[in-house]
Amino acid sequence: MRMSGLRPRISPLTFTFVLIVGCLTVGPVLMLILGSFSRGIGAFGVFTVEKYIRVYTDPSLPKILLNTAAFTVGSSLFATALALILAYLNVRTDIPLKGLFHLISITPMMIPHIVFATSWVLLLNPSNGILNLLLREVLGLKSSPFDIYSLGGMILVEGLLDLPIAYLIIAPAMASFDAALEEAAWVSGGSKFRALRRVTFPILRPAILASLALVIVRSLAAFAVPSVIGMPGRVYVLTTYIYRLISLGFMPDYGRAAAVGVSVLVTSTVLVYVYRRLTARSERYVTISARGYKPAIIGLGRWRYPLSFLTSLLFLVLIVIPVLVLLYVSLIPYVMPPSAKAFSMMTLKHWNYVLHDPLSLRALRNSVFLALVGATLGILLSTFVSYIIVRVKSAGSALLESLAFFSFSFPGLVIGIGFMWFFVRTPLYATIWALLIGYIATYLPYGIRPLTSTFIQISEDLEEASKVAGGGFLYTFRRIVVPLAIPGIVSGWILMASMFLRELSLSAVLSRPGTEVLAVQILRFADDSLWGQVSALGIVMIALSTTMVTLATLVGKHIGKSK
Amino acid sequence: MEIKVSALTKIFRSPSGEEVRALKEVDLTIPANRIFTLLGPSGCGKTTLLRCIVGLEVPDSGEIAIGDTVVWSKKQRIFIPPNKRGIGMVFQTYAIWPHMTVFDNVAYPLQVRRLPREEIRRRVRETLKFVKLEGLENRPATALSGGQQQRVALARALVSEPKVILFDEPLSNLDAKLREETRRELRRFLTELRITAVYVTHDRLEALTLSDLVAVMREGVVVEVGTPLDIYFRPKHKFVADFIGKANFIEGTVESTSEDLIRVVTPMGPIACRRAEGLTPGQRVTVCVRPEAIAIDRPGDTSGGTNTFRGRVVSLLFVGENYEGEVAVGKTILAIKTNPAFPIGEGEEVSVYIDPAQCHILME
Repeated sequence: MRMSGLRPRISPLTFTFVLIVGCLTVGPVLMLILGSFSRGIGAFGVFTVEKYIRVYTDPSLPKILLNTAAFTVGSSLFATALALILAYLNVRTDIPLKGLFHLISITPMMIPHIVFATSWVLLLNPSNGILNLLLREVLGLKSSPFDIYSLGGMILVEGLLDLPIAYLIIAPAMASFDAALEEAAWVSGGSKFRALRRVTFPILRPAILASLALVIVRSLAAFAVPSVIGMPGRVYVLTTYIYRLISLGFMPDYGRAAAVGVSVLVTSTVLVYVYRRLTARSERYVTISARGYKPAIIGLGRWRYPLSFLTSLLFLVLIVIPVLVLLYVSLIPYVMPPSAKAFSMMTLKHWNYVLHDPLSLRALRNSVFLALVGATLGILLSTFVSYIIVRVKSAGSALLESLAFFSFSFPGLVIGIGFMWFFVRTPLYATIWALLIGYIATYLPYGIRPLTSTFIQISEDLEEASKVAGGGFLYTFRRIVVPLAIPGIVSGWILMASMFLRELSLSAVLSRPGTEVLAVQILRFADDSLWGQVSALGIVMIALSTTMVTLATLVGKHIGKSK
Repeated sequence: MEIKVSALTKIFRSPSGEEVRALKEVDLTIPANRIFTLLGPSGCGKTTLLRCIVGLEVPDSGEIAIGDTVVWSKKQRIFIPPNKRGIGMVFQTYAIWPHMTVFDNVAYPLQVRRLPREEIRRRVRETLKFVKLEGLENRPATALSGGQQQRVALARALVSEPKVILFDEPLSNLDAKLREETRRELRRFLTELRITAVYVTHDRLEALTLSDLVAVMREGVVVEVGTPLDIYFRPKHKFVADFIGKANFIEGTVESTSEDLIRVVTPMGPIACRRAEGLTPGQRVTVCVRPEAIAIDRPGDTSGGTNTFRGRVVSLLFVGENYEGEVAVGKTILAIKTNPAFPIGEGEEVSVYIDPAQCHILME
């Protein structure tokens, strides 16, 4: 007979994962804080506040903070306003082509931010932006009408990039909204606009605030747009300021970078806390009001087609134009507006260059490796962690949940600096494994989210039946839990793999010669204005993520069917 | 195998720190190779007790032994996990694995034990035949009807030939007609098998028709254990009498105890009751009479005989096989059942006779 002790407070399993996830998420934060109080990356542990004093008395800092505030708040307002209009049109009106809205919400998985930002530079930069050149020619202007290298340009592009996030928060809230409230307001004599302002808006307020908060978090952490669009225009925000501290000059100063990073991290954490409180409450709203109400569909009348033309235009701007511009630029010898001459000069030289450039090829190999292996390991960890969060109801599992979602607020660049302080002291430094560990830690919530919602849907009886039938924990996990969770595992894997494939901000810190990745390589080419190469590599990235997402979806469907 | 539960306590703690005592020092012996039912209203602790026996719930104190093996003991610090207890169980939701075929569902307990492939195939076939599902091996388990799924669950619980099988309200998800059919079939399966079966239900009819022994539970305590006939006709507690079926409760005082009958003085007059031990004149008691034990007749000259009273029909309700009604004897209202062929109407005077053998004195 097997004798085993009574169940302890925290099982060894929960404890193991608390330890792993704790090291991954709290570890880099601790290192960041310790690093910010150290003399330098080589002189770790000697306490000093020198870095804080130097960085926070930097005369250029106020301007950077102002830029950051304008950039984040601006993108956030822009993305949220656009998302509100789109969600309202999709959910509440009879606008045609509703399929486009779904595409708009999943685009960011296909087009990496750095690639998107570059294609806008190609269109709107003041010296040879294609659209600028065209307009100059057509209108006979002396100078370019648009300058993308400005705060406004940054806000425009970042806002478009964060639009899907805002849309995914606002659209469900709009859908669960009881239109009878609005109708009541019209009936009581108010105008439609008044009803919108006095009734619709206040009810949607939690979702709107949540969207604002989350987009601020995203744009605060954003590195692609600030580096590709902001830096050439000398519009610096906190991420690019930090990046400059560690990449320019003779001595990269990780201490000062860490000292600034701490404030970015604190801001971000506070905002994520606000966001989570807001969404927790709005979810409650939804469950209360979701009593089978169908939001009334409003007829757009003669506005139907003009408005759907506008949404199609947005679809063009978000997806079609970036891809076409890249394709076009990758095939012409130097940037010029499309013309007969341009088409006659088409060449494959940029493609040849990229496909034979050892750096680019290594970056490609590394990125694919990180996406495949990283996402697989990441989803393995996420599966166990989500399972414990959902099934084991103890203080340990609650702690695990907080730890796992902690990294949701991590700005990649900042946490990368935390990891740097750690990896420098280990043999992992400058290896692909450093990137892999950093990726998994930073993007863990993206794997855990789809899995926790999957596990919640699987009845606990099914596992208990396996236990009673003689299956131990691992046997049950392998034969019952995992097969039933396949849909969640696949969508988590897709999400992680596509994030890893296009990862930029963490890699910008951790990537070293030998561990180049695609996004960093594109950044290099962009720094040197090698637009043909940027475009070719960008197309490769888009093609890779699209293929990967499609394949994984098919595999998931196949597994789902064969069961 | 016999199951022995001693002083078992289970406390649930809600996140707000509230404590619910689901089981309070339960002592219970479930004899080997019988069908034993735990019956009680929802929240009485019957499912918790079942889950403690199988090991899905860990009690707070006490001891559980299955056969000669102690599977849980606070004092000896023993906890054998459910996968080592060798018990079969049928869940309320059946818990059929939706990603597997019927064969894999049933074969699972044998696959866990790493039996040879051939033996697994043979035993699964035999078990499926026993539950009348032969030929459905390769169907996806979710493509079956509710009744068939229920039998897959039973086959899975039986395939490893356990000495003990547990049922957690297995019929509650079937519709009324199928439930009756399955109940009869289950009874046949279990009598053939000679296995210790513990059956949890809140349905008194299920308990009465299926069981060799019934334990009635309330608020974490086993109130009474007995055969279905004992529980129905000779309950010791008012709660049990009331829960198991309709009953009239008439308060009174013991007047005299003779060899074969006990006379109890009640507001409706003296009632002669069946003998019961340990009663003394002057004691307050409750007389329990089932509606079907009350005979209604036209008012005649029988008045004055033992347990014969004059009453008036207060209400009558036609429910199909008979009338359910109420008769007032003085100020006491009695629930009755009559043959619909017997012509009486509301407001009529009737004579009421209660067989003394069916007047049962409750101890409580």
